[in-house]
Amino acid sequence: MADNALLEARGIAKVYPDGTVALRGVDLVVRPGEVHGLLGENGAGKTTLTKIISGLLPPTSGEIRWRGKRVRFSSPREALRAGIGMVHQHFALVGPFTGLENIALGEEGGGALSPVHVASVRRRVEAIMRESGLEAPLDVPVEDLPVGVQQRVEILKMLYREVDLLILDEPTAVLTPQEAEELFSVLRGLAAQGRSVIFITHKLAEVTAVTDRVTVLRRGEVVATRETPGSTAEELARLMVGEELPPPRARAERAPGREVLRLEGFTVPGPAGKPAVQGVSFSVREGEILGIAGVQGNGQTELVEALVGLRPWSGHAELLGKDLAGRGPGEIASLGLAHIPEDRHGMGLILEFNLAENAILGRLRPFLDPLGRLRWGKVYRFARELISRFSIQAPGPRVPVRYLSGGNQQRLVVGRELSKAPKLLIANQPTRGLDVAATRYIRDLLLRLRDEGMAILLVSADLDEVLELSDRVAVMYRGTFAGVLSREEFDRERIGLLMGGVREAG
Amino acid sequence: MIILLQVLPVALRAMVPVTLCAVGEITGERAGVVNIGLEGIMTLSAFAAAIGSWATGNPWIGALCGMGAGAIVGLLHGFISVYLRGDQIISGVGINLLGMGAVGFGTWALWGAKSPMLDKKFWIPEVPGLGISPFVLMTPLLVVLTWWLLHRTALGLRIRAVGENPVAADVVGVPVEGVRLLAVVFGGALGGLAGAFLSLDWLHTVSPTLPAGRGFIALANVVFSKLNPFLALLGGFLFGYFDALAIQLASVAGFGGGIPYQFVRMIPYIATLAVVALAIGRARFPKALGQPYRRE
Repeated sequence: MADNALLEARGIAKVYPDGTVALRGVDLVVRPGEVHGLLGENGAGKTTLTKIISGLLPPTSGEIRWRGKRVRFSSPREALRAGIGMVHQHFALVGPFTGLENIALGEEGGGALSPVHVASVRRRVEAIMRESGLEAPLDVPVEDLPVGVQQRVEILKMLYREVDLLILDEPTAVLTPQEAEELFSVLRGLAAQGRSVIFITHKLAEVTAVTDRVTVLRRGEVVATRETPGSTAEELARLMVGEELPPPRARAERAPGREVLRLEGFTVPGPAGKPAVQGVSFSVREGEILGIAGVQGNGQTELVEALVGLRPWSGHAELLGKDLAGRGPGEIASLGLAHIPEDRHGMGLILEFNLAENAILGRLRPFLDPLGRLRWGKVYRFARELISRFSIQAPGPRVPVRYLSGGNQQRLVVGRELSKAPKLLIANQPTRGLDVAATRYIRDLLLRLRDEGMAILLVSADLDEVLELSDRVAVMYRGTFAGVLSREEFDRERIGLLMGGVREAG
Repeated sequence: MIILLQVLPVALRAMVPVTLCAVGEITGERAGVVNIGLEGIMTLSAFAAAIGSWATGNPWIGALCGMGAGAIVGLLHGFISVYLRGDQIISGVGINLLGMGAVGFGTWALWGAKSPMLDKKFWIPEVPGLGISPFVLMTPLLVVLTWWLLHRTALGLRIRAVGENPVAADVVGVPVEGVRLLAVVFGGALGGLAGAFLSLDWLHTVSPTLPAGRGFIALANVVFSKLNPFLALLGGFLFGYFDALAIQLASVAGFGGGIPYQFVRMIPYIATLAVVALAIGRARFPKALGQPYRRE
């Protein structure tokens, strides 16, 4: 075994029951007191590997040594008891419980029928907060806290259980750039105390910012393990993707055309009477991408769903001069609005249907004969056309879309929406969960559409994406626009502050 | 006017079953398990309590038998819902049918076609000096106890956690299945106590339809209470009051002459519907209610 290893995983393989091979014999060594980056594309196997280490999934083969002893955790609680804690992308928090209750749960400080030892739990948590620099309110139900703060509660919960290895799965996805910086310094502090951290990411900048060493995964295999100092971002990118990508498309200089979408005082009710979107006004013009940045959960979903007719709203909205009030989703779509939903499984596709059936969802009319029957020949011809135009990797139009990769599913959604010849395209998190090549494809396509004169409303929690594609950026915070910036004014720091609710003077 | 106060003693009695069942059901639902079989639990446990009291000659042992029967049915429902991950509504319907069928058969086998009247020596005695049922005193105590259990103890924290987010509870070492089963058994035992009250203290008989819908009213009371035991006590009292009023009105000659008594007896149920219709929509139920837990 390797000297001085806290955790050592050897030859870990994982085959899911449906036959998907997620890991093909992976080695990972984590030393005490290091922040170890786990870098790889979506689908490379990072999350699967850490779920195995933290006891959530059994490996198909391979062995794990923890402090030199061979272990086999059959549940997360066993791993946690041994000192391994994982913070998932979906937090394991009880929404109506306060931070303190969430932290105390399972370790209440007495017998089952004795009262929760609130005071002693609080003393310990406060000591941990001072020591680690992680601050979180303890007496507010966590569901009322911003996601970034919920994440701190989740980390505090692990520290309360004195874990020696903390695993964080893409923790910065829900943070503003400033919050990410704070998190990095907390992690450096933990490492300085001798604890270890596995930091999962697909962002190179984060690897260089916070890790000591990095293991790069690609398609279920370890491509390399490096000391972070001395590795360049270009080198890591090459290792992660495995191929050279063409440079991104250059944006054409282009003056925006006429106004396509205009909202005034647009308000969408949310849960518990509070509005999810509050009096938002903006417009999108032809040949322009308006990006909406913001930490997820600040009203973006509600805004988009209301615009496409899935939620009630008030205020004023018009598409190409036509009032949208009182129109349903079908009617709004026929006015020239196409929508790439953020959840392609739930809203964008019917996974059990085949590719051709999904390709005509929401647009049956051109495929019907006079008796109202589907002309399947025409449907399949159309599906094949989409497959070749949008380079969808699929065995044919009859394949159930469940068996397509995320990138190919998304190409299908995008292809279908564009076949409606829309005037306005709403792209909500269009590249979430896609690998680098598919992401590049979708982003280039959006830019090309913009150059060709389409009006695009882009909503993304990925700040880099918004900054790369948009002509103007609106930052959404708690249901309002915290500021709208034009391309010359783009500044990561300034946008980060707006995302965190720091308003600008004047 | 006087009638509104006259019915108070009956109202307090009528409050007992609806409150006890609701408070037990609140505990189960907090843990994420719905049990719509309260009617069946009361039917079965009323019968078991009567048999226990009759066999031992001690009504308190009879009450324990009723509680035990309720707990066993709770165990069955918990096992089906939690471990076999069965549909909780179907299991609950099954319990209601089982209650009617088994008690129908049991009374017929023991007493023939006519439902028996229990002899006075098998009844639960009134509290000496006060002249009221001990159950009327016990009910508020159990309400306080259940509230304390749910909101002040470590076990209560765990019960509420497994009902809201079983994954979060599992990760930190709370045995999700065990806690859920315990909560359902507790709920069954309180339902069993309510059944024992029906046969040994109030109606002094057993029959397949003894609870007369009070198990379902208790479910409505759970909604009304927003899973708060104290509000369930209030809801139980409101129902009990209308129940008592209807009983009284149905027996008043003038009223009984003009209106068929069946209509008068509808009052508590219609009042319950009205109250629930006003209260519903504001209740916030646990997120994982009705969902079996399966580790990834």
